[in-house]
Amino acid sequence: MQKNPTIYKEQQELPTIQRVVSVLWPSFLVASLATVLFFSLFDPADLGRLAGYPELTRTGGYTIGFFAFWLMTAISCGMTCYFRKPVHRPRID
Amino acid sequence: MSATAGKKPTVDQEVENELYKKRQKIYPREVHGIFARMRTLAMIALLGIFYGLPWLQWNGHQAVLFDLPARKFYIFGLTFWPQDFIYLALLLIIAALSLFLFTALAGRLWCGYACPQTVWTEIFLWIERKVEGSRQQQIKLDKQPMSARKFRIKFTKHLIWILFSLWTGFTFVGWFTPIHELWNELIHFQLGPWETFWILFYGFATYGNAGWMREQVCIYMCPYARFQSAMFDKDTLLVAYDEKRGEPRGPRKKSANPRELGLGDCIDCTMCVQVCPTGIDIRDGLQYQCIGCAACIDICDDVMEKMNYPKGLVRYTTERALEGEHTHILRPRVIVYATLLLILFGALVYAIATRVPLELDILRDRNTLYNETDEGLIENVYTLKVVNMTNRPQKFKLDVEGLKDAKLIARSDLIEAPPGEVVSVPVRVQVDPENLPQPGNDIRFHLESLTQPGLETTEEGRFLGPRPEM
Ligand code: SF4
Ligand code: SF4
Repeated sequence: MQKNPTIYKEQQELPTIQRVVSVLWPSFLVASLATVLFFSLFDPADLGRLAGYPELTRTGGYTIGFFAFWLMTAISCGMTCYFRKPVHRPRID
Repeated sequence: MSATAGKKPTVDQEVENELYKKRQKIYPREVHGIFARMRTLAMIALLGIFYGLPWLQWNGHQAVLFDLPARKFYIFGLTFWPQDFIYLALLLIIAALSLFLFTALAGRLWCGYACPQTVWTEIFLWIERKVEGSRQQQIKLDKQPMSARKFRIKFTKHLIWILFSLWTGFTFVGWFTPIHELWNELIHFQLGPWETFWILFYGFATYGNAGWMREQVCIYMCPYARFQSAMFDKDTLLVAYDEKRGEPRGPRKKSANPRELGLGDCIDCTMCVQVCPTGIDIRDGLQYQCIGCAACIDICDDVMEKMNYPKGLVRYTTERALEGEHTHILRPRVIVYATLLLILFGALVYAIATRVPLELDILRDRNTLYNETDEGLIENVYTLKVVNMTNRPQKFKLDVEGLKDAKLIARSDLIEAPPGEVVSVPVRVQVDPENLPQPGNDIRFHLESLTQPGLETTEEGRFLGPRPEM
């Protein structure tokens, strides 16, 4: 890594917008897919009743489901980005 | 990574370097021409469908409605329930395959003419031009310090953008909840909190993507733009600059003979760069930022016409044609995509045409294998789940078949199922042990609608009994 300071520097200088996008956008896509799959199997109204919120509307259920999925996937994308950051390693060669 | 250090930068690295640059606002110049007209036509058609179709009624309901609150999809005369998920999955696969086929044949035609990002950006650019004026006027305005006039112009632009975005958000929600009801709720200020949220959310996404992000969506966010290089080959249609003909580029008088000056046909007027919505120079060769909108073709043809040169210095062509070879339309990958597509499409049409909007599931009582009644009959207990996937209430008649003299005992003779509902029916079946050849026997339940002739289904189950005495 130390051999290639330019790339190291450039990664640090990623525009904020692109960093945000690279976490929020892939997670958004996957969350949308997960929402479609999940709610074609389960009816949010049933789930709401089971969870003790009988007054929850389906639209509300979909919305909460979608954002819960998005939160999960965003955490995962965020961790990927975090672990991709270059670290200082002891030289082995 | 260190392996590449010191070498010449690879294409990938150049791409990366490109990504780290700070974005400069792009002011695409307005174009007229045949492709611009086609783009406008496509835009009007697509936006017409998006904003208009939800208002169309069909047999007393919204013609196309993916009714999420009611969990059913209407597509003209057809109604789909969550049980029909397989059709949706098939449809999505077909859509993806069509995109593959289309991309192999025609490259980024989708990006340039039909992608929502392009279409909404175009309309936002159009609004911007109406309010702020031409490219030069926009650049000038942005350089000026803030003044009352500048504020007024910017304010107007954003106000129109925002109103238009909100309308877009409203229409979007109207694809998923009945739009007439939604409209009534809106004008009486009775919109539900979730609907309001989604209108604002989608409206905001429209405003952000088409007003601010624009070409950055294509460059940074679009997965299609990234993986399409895998679908391209030398016979794919693309927008390209004819380097052999154009170079060496340079300015000249209209009357001059370029050959005498040692020049090619490109007069280096940079018009093609000015019209490009992604801000690239098509003369640098094939670039993944190019969305194939053909704006540069239109403008360069204009220039060529003014110079009295033949058109087509920038044109739709293929890599092979540029190298002076023949373009092959039918090639293995095209044939494979097309065949797969044909099969899947046939399967979908067949499945929908023969679809029976009725489902019967049989659950055997798990607690006991069988009972013996006082009369010495063997009895099995089942719960039947009847799913009525039609649009009207149905009355069903139930029969059992497959075992001699089987007696069916249910709470009532008829099963009534409201439209789109699942009803559970507990039933008992009794059979004389004489008629049971083995401990496990097949039994068939036959369900037939009395309301709608022809609507019927048969489902197999198991009937258990004792080991027959020898
Ligand atoms: S518009 Fe045509 S002539 Fe003008 S710079 Fe571009 S390629 Fe050259
Ligand atoms: S290079 Fe030409 S075709 Fe490609 S995006 Fe720019 S204007 Fe459109």
